[in-house]
Amino acid sequence: MAAVPLYILLCSGEHEKIHMAAMMASVGAVSERPVEVFVSMNAIMAFARQKPDTNRYRGGAFSDLMKQKNVSDSITLFRQGRELGDLKIWACSMALDVTGWDEDRLESDLFDGALGLTKFLSDAEGGQFITL
Amino acid sequence: MADQTLDVKGLNCPLPILRAKKALKDVTMGGTLLVLATDPGSVKDFEAFCRATGNELIESTTEGNVFSFVIKRMS
Repeated sequence: MAAVPLYILLCSGEHEKIHMAAMMASVGAVSERPVEVFVSMNAIMAFARQKPDTNRYRGGAFSDLMKQKNVSDSITLFRQGRELGDLKIWACSMALDVTGWDEDRLESDLFDGALGLTKFLSDAEGGQFITL
Repeated sequence: MADQTLDVKGLNCPLPILRAKKALKDVTMGGTLLVLATDPGSVKDFEAFCRATGNELIESTTEGNVFSFVIKRMS
């Protein structure tokens, strides 16, 4: 039986939530489960191309601990999920419009393109939906 | 004796699973991969991973704080 696809709506710019999204997306993908991530609101800021690691992620006490313990980088986890499984990542077209960014302002070779929320929600029907 | 060995001791979740997935690509179908990990969540994680991917977990042992898994590539 085919695995139920996983849809992750990532809105928060908090390091902890971005990292949890990266963990779920990468593990889901390598577990033979189709995964799609829709990046919107403050979360889009963390995906700016060539942003220095020192200020890419903003979070609380647990974020500080993850940095101290050299926990794997969130963007790297997303990349590994794409490399090893069926993981698609979409940039919210509204978020790009509001920031004034083109897709080439985002991390290279990570996004599958820009998408509207209506299409993402339509695709997610029948899948497992998680918002962070 | 497994065909290949992957040492992921010291790595946190989900890296042991991601590394195992990558390493299994280089194991021939029906061949085996020995994974050495220290993440305490890895015991249940590798059970779930093998169940989800159709690979066979043929051995799961613990010695001190090191967890050993032998995975037979079936998919």
